[in-house]
Amino acid sequence: MESASLAAGHEHEHSPEGKHEHPPEANQSSRVDAQYLGMLLFIISEVMLFGAFFTAYFFIRVVGDSPWPAEGTELPVAIAGINTAILVSSSFTMHWALEGARNENRRAMQVGLLTTTLLGLAFLCIQINEYVHLGFAPSDSAQGSIFYSLTGLHGAHVFIGLLLLTFATTRAFRGHFSAKEHRGVEIPGIYWHFVDVMWIVVYTTIYVV
Amino acid sequence: MLNPFRSEQEAFRFLLYVGAAAAIIAGVALILRAI
Repeated sequence: MESASLAAGHEHEHSPEGKHEHPPEANQSSRVDAQYLGMLLFIISEVMLFGAFFTAYFFIRVVGDSPWPAEGTELPVAIAGINTAILVSSSFTMHWALEGARNENRRAMQVGLLTTTLLGLAFLCIQINEYVHLGFAPSDSAQGSIFYSLTGLHGAHVFIGLLLLTFATTRAFRGHFSAKEHRGVEIPGIYWHFVDVMWIVVYTTIYVV
Repeated sequence: MLNPFRSEQEAFRFLLYVGAAAAIIAGVALILRAI
């Protein structure tokens, strides 16, 4: 490792005993920031994952020409619509939080992040309640399978987003982030907007159209 | 060009565009269903 990093031209600080005081700087060959690149590749893979599920949905509905939803079942369009409004409004509060971080408005950032987390949590709770009262199971029909698969896949993403938001919110209340350094809010923000975009597509195709 | 992965601001703007497009699609679908 020593020879590799020396070959890369890095300078190191050494203690009197000759040991490293800091780990060597990571080599960065891409012009894109590593964190952004990671999130970019992650979201692209997620789009492909959702694409596979949407393919199954459209196969059942268009190619299979099956009724949607399955006969004798009904989807709670109005409640899901309210849930959609909750999730979309959480993107506004996320944007507000980041604007707060950019403008050194710590209170706005903290309240924005906390509100986003609570709205995301409300969305997940309403969805779980919807599952309890739907009246059909994934094993009942192909339509039921794909309904639970798509909405469940999205719900899992909301859960992951909530974990990221919880970290960001905790850090915000601990005094982290500034106008210059707020990547810990921006990256979860990009992910959260992606989750919202996916839900808009899911809601429009599954519940409305 | 809009790149939703570049920054949160662009991701938010992309969300608004998707929301508007979805509202138009849903509106057209509902009108066609009502006719």
